[in-house]
Amino acid sequence: MYRSFLSWRYLVSRPTNLIGIVGILVGVGALILILSIMTGFLEESRRTVRGTLADLIVCPRQGERSAKGVVSDDPQGLLHALRAEPRVAAAAPQLLWGGIITQRGEMGKNYERLLASSSMSHSGLLAIQLVGIDVNGIGRLTGPLTALVARRLHGFLPRPAIQDELDASAFLHSLTGDQPGEIWTAAPPNPLLPFLPPRRPGLGRPKAGVLIGEQLFTDLVMRVGQVVEIGTAVLDPERDDWRMNNREFVIAGTFRTRENETDNGRIYLDRRELADFLGQTRGYTQVLVRLKDYERDSAAVSEDLRATLSERGLIAGGAAFAEGRMELKTWEEFRGNLLGAIENERVLMGIMLSLVLVGAGFTIFAILSMMVTEKRRDIGILAALGATPTGIQQLFLMIAFWDALLGGLLGGVLGTWGAIEIDSIERWLSRTFGFQIFDRNVYLFDHIPSVVQPLWVTTIVLGAFFCALLFAAIPAWRAARLDPLVALRYE
Amino acid sequence: MTMERPAQAPALAAPRPDGTSAVVLAARGVKKSFAVGARTLEILHGIDLELRSGELLALVGSSGAGKSTLLHCLGLLDPPDQGSVHLEGTSAWQLGLVERAHLRNQKIGFVFEFYHLLPELTALENVLLPAMIAHSRLAFGSRKSELRERAGGLLERFGLAERASHRPSQLSGGERQRVAMARALFLDPPILLADEPTGNLDSATGAAVLELLLAEQRRRRLSMILVTHDEKIARRCERVITMKDGRIGASG
Repeated sequence: MYRSFLSWRYLVSRPTNLIGIVGILVGVGALILILSIMTGFLEESRRTVRGTLADLIVCPRQGERSAKGVVSDDPQGLLHALRAEPRVAAAAPQLLWGGIITQRGEMGKNYERLLASSSMSHSGLLAIQLVGIDVNGIGRLTGPLTALVARRLHGFLPRPAIQDELDASAFLHSLTGDQPGEIWTAAPPNPLLPFLPPRRPGLGRPKAGVLIGEQLFTDLVMRVGQVVEIGTAVLDPERDDWRMNNREFVIAGTFRTRENETDNGRIYLDRRELADFLGQTRGYTQVLVRLKDYERDSAAVSEDLRATLSERGLIAGGAAFAEGRMELKTWEEFRGNLLGAIENERVLMGIMLSLVLVGAGFTIFAILSMMVTEKRRDIGILAALGATPTGIQQLFLMIAFWDALLGGLLGGVLGTWGAIEIDSIERWLSRTFGFQIFDRNVYLFDHIPSVVQPLWVTTIVLGAFFCALLFAAIPAWRAARLDPLVALRYE
Repeated sequence: MTMERPAQAPALAAPRPDGTSAVVLAARGVKKSFAVGARTLEILHGIDLELRSGELLALVGSSGAGKSTLLHCLGLLDPPDQGSVHLEGTSAWQLGLVERAHLRNQKIGFVFEFYHLLPELTALENVLLPAMIAHSRLAFGSRKSELRERAGGLLERFGLAERASHRPSQLSGGERQRVAMARALFLDPPILLADEPTGNLDSATGAAVLELLLAEQRRRRLSMILVTHDEKIARRCERVITMKDGRIGASG
C-alpha cells in the first residue's frame, strides 16, 4: 500500500517531478503532432505523386518476342484479357508521344520565350507530352445537330465521357487519384469538342480538339477555340529515318491536376487522332487498368496478370523483362522511388523525434537519481519499519510510473488535439503574430494535412511509458541497495 | 506484500517454570567491526545479551562504546560480522531479506534520537506507515477507517489529537518524538528499541517524553532496550548494562 501512497505523495510534493511530467508530455505531444503531419503530407503527396497514373499500367513491348510469337501492336487482345479478369473494373488503351508546339504568331513567340526560360521556370521542360485517349459519349457526338439537340434537351452540357469504357469519373479518377472531378476542370464549353469537330464539307480535314494543361494554357496566353499547331517526330520504317509531322488542333478546354509537370506540358486528344498524326506507326503505348479494390487486390492481380499475359503472349515477359515486372506495374511501383523517399523522411523524422523521448527518459533518470539521494533518510526509515528492498525499488519505480502516466496521457491528448486542430492553430498563430507560418501555395495544399493514427498514438504513449520506466530502473535499483543504517545516518 | 493482521496484544512468551520470563531477544557472541580507511575498527567484541519478555533494559555507556551498533544488530538493521541474534528463538540473521523485513515490521518498534518521521506525511500518516507497509492496498483499504481510528486514538493518548493532520515541520521536537513513539507502537510489537529517545530534547520535554514511553512499556508489558548515556534515566530501568569499548562492562 505504501508504494502507491508514498510515490504519489512524493510526486505532488516535489516540484521537480513536474519537469519529468512536462518532459514526457512535450516528447509525446511533439512526436504525435509531427508524425501526424508527416503522415498527412505523405498521404497528400501520394495523391500528388500518383498524379495521372491509373491503378495498373501495362506497357507491352510491342514487336518483342513473346510466348506466342511477337507482342501485338493491337490492344484489343490485351484489353479483352484484362477485362476478363474479375478483379479489374475497367481497362483502356492510351497512346503517349512527345511533341512541341510549332504555332506561329503570338503563341509561337510565347512558346519560344518559355523554351528559353525553361531551365529556370519550367523544370527543364522542352517538349510537350501528347496523350491519346479513347473518347466516347460527347466526344462521339459527330454532328452539330446532335450537339444542338443535346443542348436544347438538357439545358446544359453533359459531362464529357472519355476514355472508352472508363467513364468520365473513372478517367478523372485516374487523373487525380482521388475525389474525381474536384480539382479537374476539363468541361469544354463547346459540345463539338472534345475531340472530334464536325466535318464541314469543302473545308478540308477537320481539326481535332485538344485539352491543354491549365498552366501551359495560361503561360502561352491561349484561348478556348483557338487553333494550335503541334509538331512531332516519327520514325518512318520504310526510309528508316525520322520524319517531322505538323498538324493543327483546336483548343477544346483545359484541365488542372495540380501536378506541375502535367499541368505544364500535357495535352490530351483522341487516341485515333494521335495515331493518325503519328502516321499509324503506333496505335497505343500502354493500357490503363482500374481495379475494383486496389488496396486489397493490387499485389495479387499484378502477379496473376503478369503470369497470364506472359503465358498468352500479350506481353513479352520472360527474364529479359523481369518476368513482366517491366511491362506491368502498379502506380506505386511506377513512383516507387519518390514514395520511398517520402516514407523514409517520415521514418527518419520518427527516429529523430524518438530521441526526444529518450531525452525525457534521461530527465526521469536525473530527477529520480536526485530524489534517491535526497530521500536516503526516508529509505532508511522505511527499511527500519519493515519495507523490503524490492518494495523500496517499486516505490521509486512508481514515481516514474506516475510521471510517465501523467506525461504520456496529457501528451497524448494534447498531441492528438494539436494534430487535429493544427490548421486552425496555425491560422490563429499567423493572425496573432502577423506573418504566415505555413505557406499553403508551396505544397499546393489549401490546409496543413494531418492524419492521426490511433495505433501510432498508442505506440508513442506506451513507448514513452516504458522508456520512462526503463530509465527509472537504475535509480530505483540504487535505492533498493542502500544500506538502511547509512541511509538513516544521512543528513 | 500482505502480512498477517497485527496482533492486538503483545505476543508475550509464557513464564518459565523457574518464574523467569522467556528470552525474546538475544545476542550471542556478536562481533562487529567497521573499515575506517585502511584499518579495521572493531566496535563489538563478542557481545552476549538477553532481553526477557516484558523487561526494561537500559544500555548505557559513553559515546563510541558500541551501544547504538549493538542496538542496530539486535534490531536487524545491521548484520553482525560474527555471532547471532535470536528473536523469539529464531536466528534472525539467517533469515532472508523479506522474512527479516517482516520481523522488523511485526516484532520490533524503533524510536530514534532524531525521530525519523517522513516529512511529506502528516502525523497521522506517519503513525499509519507501519500498517501501510504491512498491508496490501486492498487489505489496507478494507480496514482503513479502523486503522485510522486506532492511529488517531494513539495520538490522542499521546496528547496529539489536535496535531494529527500536521506535518513534522509544523511540530515541536517533543511532539515529533511522541509521533515517532506512536508509530513504533502502532502494530503492537513485543519489542521496542529506543536509541537515546530524549537525546535531542530539552530536559523538561525529554522528561515528559520519557514518562510517556515508560508508561507505555509498563502498560503493554513491552520488552524494551533503552540506549542512553544518562545515568538517571538508566536507573529507572529494571536492568542496566554498561558498555565500554565494545564490551559489556557491568550488569545490575
